[in-house]
Amino acid sequence: MSVEIKNLSYTYSVGSPFQKDALHGISVTINEGEMVGIIGSTGSGKSTLVQHINGLIKLTSGSIKVYDIDLTAKKPDLKRLRSMVGMLFQYPEYQLFEETVLKDVAFGPMNFGATKEEALAAAEEAIRLVGLDFDEVKDKSPFELSGGEKRRAAIAGVIASKPKILVLDEPTAGLDPIGKREILNLILSLKKAFVKTVIMISHNMDEIAEFCGRVLVLSEGRLIADCTPAELFEKEYSLEGTGLTLPHTVNIKRLLGQKGLSLKGDTLSAPALADAIAEALRRRV
Amino acid sequence: MSRDITFGQFYPANSFVHKMDPRAKLVLVIAYIVAVFLVKSLYSYIAIAVFLIAAVLGSRVPVKSVLKSVRGILVIVILTAILNIFFFSGGERVLFSWWKIKITVEALLFALHMALRLIFLVIGTTLLTLTTTPINLTDGMESLMSPLKLIKVPVHDLAIIMSIALRFIPILIEEVDKIMLAQKARGADFESGGLIKRAKALLPVLIPLFISAFRRADELALALDARCYNATPKRTKYKVLKLGWRDAVGVIILAILIAAIAAVNASFWGLFGFSFGV
Repeated sequence: MSVEIKNLSYTYSVGSPFQKDALHGISVTINEGEMVGIIGSTGSGKSTLVQHINGLIKLTSGSIKVYDIDLTAKKPDLKRLRSMVGMLFQYPEYQLFEETVLKDVAFGPMNFGATKEEALAAAEEAIRLVGLDFDEVKDKSPFELSGGEKRRAAIAGVIASKPKILVLDEPTAGLDPIGKREILNLILSLKKAFVKTVIMISHNMDEIAEFCGRVLVLSEGRLIADCTPAELFEKEYSLEGTGLTLPHTVNIKRLLGQKGLSLKGDTLSAPALADAIAEALRRRV
Repeated sequence: MSRDITFGQFYPANSFVHKMDPRAKLVLVIAYIVAVFLVKSLYSYIAIAVFLIAAVLGSRVPVKSVLKSVRGILVIVILTAILNIFFFSGGERVLFSWWKIKITVEALLFALHMALRLIFLVIGTTLLTLTTTPINLTDGMESLMSPLKLIKVPVHDLAIIMSIALRFIPILIEEVDKIMLAQKARGADFESGGLIKRAKALLPVLIPLFISAFRRADELALALDARCYNATPKRTKYKVLKLGWRDAVGVIILAILIAAIAAVNASFWGLFGFSFGV
């Protein structure tokens, strides 16, 4: 397994009027090769949970193990942990700061102890991987790029250190539909390269339904479901009270069912749903 | 981390002091400062201390949060006290003398006097910001300064600038936290190394922070424009400030305090001749 979390709880600002329970006894094991979606309404503890995996929040109760790094240890090797776990924050373009895109992307590898040549080579590879034109952007200021390009550059900055686990906090927030699709396809292609495990927070049920093999649902700091998207969206009651909605495909299937057109097989992704509808109509004729 | 800056931060509670009118609180704090400077005898400090304890209890802010503000200036207090002990001249009862250094009882008392004065000043003023939201505070200031409008001082503009500045402090602190996390995740190290290395390590935080601050300023200006905001003289208020019985109680208590201090000053000077000699 790549990430093992046991009985993790966390409280913000202990002892002040702003004290807030963020996580309650979360236990979950994420295996190598999985693509896990985390959903939950605002304030359900998603971000707190994933920041623990990267050692960005100090463990106060429970235990976390990422490969061979035990975070309950007195002084866990945070540098090695962070080079293994790439973390892409919401609106990551605001982390860009260097004079040139190349230097910015090389920032991570340099921090993790690569030599300058190694870091620049890793940066070049990362920039090409995210689909930016290397020769065109390498000497540009990151602030000259367009919105979508900035996000790609930020992703390059995270994957330049070749993380085995990639954690993404709403990677498609604020992008147009085409940009969203491009970023999701990019994540899939990264998973084929060196990223082994992907953990993705999203508010977009359609993305979760289509891309993730497993979904964790958080509500008020508790893990209330851990299953495949198909299982989750089949049970009507399961999302009640979490403030979450169903993916469009599930809604369409339900509405068609009410009108007397029952669909068979996998209908979670849009293409699969289209096939199923075609199939059902053919049966009818 | 940066969230730990509590000096003067608003502490939400539902209390007597919180419900007072910000204008009354501002005036009371100014009067309180005057009172602290009036004090000439150690006994008056007991009166001030009783008043402060009552005010802190009446504000329902935990004593720990109030004392945190003192911790921030402790170094200054101690330094002032030490300097006063050595540089006080004119004492007669000599405790210790060596070469040109002479420590007298009067000097010690004077140092204690200055230290108490500083501590009381800071606790009193911190209590104001702990119990008043920045918005209320600027509203109060605007209202108190409104006579200046007669001589064409743009009071409202000043107030709105101040409230925007205050409002943005927590936002920018949050932003700093976010950017720091993102750079930490990329292996940035803010905690080790010498002074120069640490200062350099802050660059990846400061540059995005400035960019974001300018962007926010731009957006805010646009939003204000879009709502046709301008500082016309006839603006009405959503929350109209109102003086109430609590403010009357506060004023009366402070008036009694000042009267008591004045009385103590007069009587002790005249009757017992005990004073710090200031």
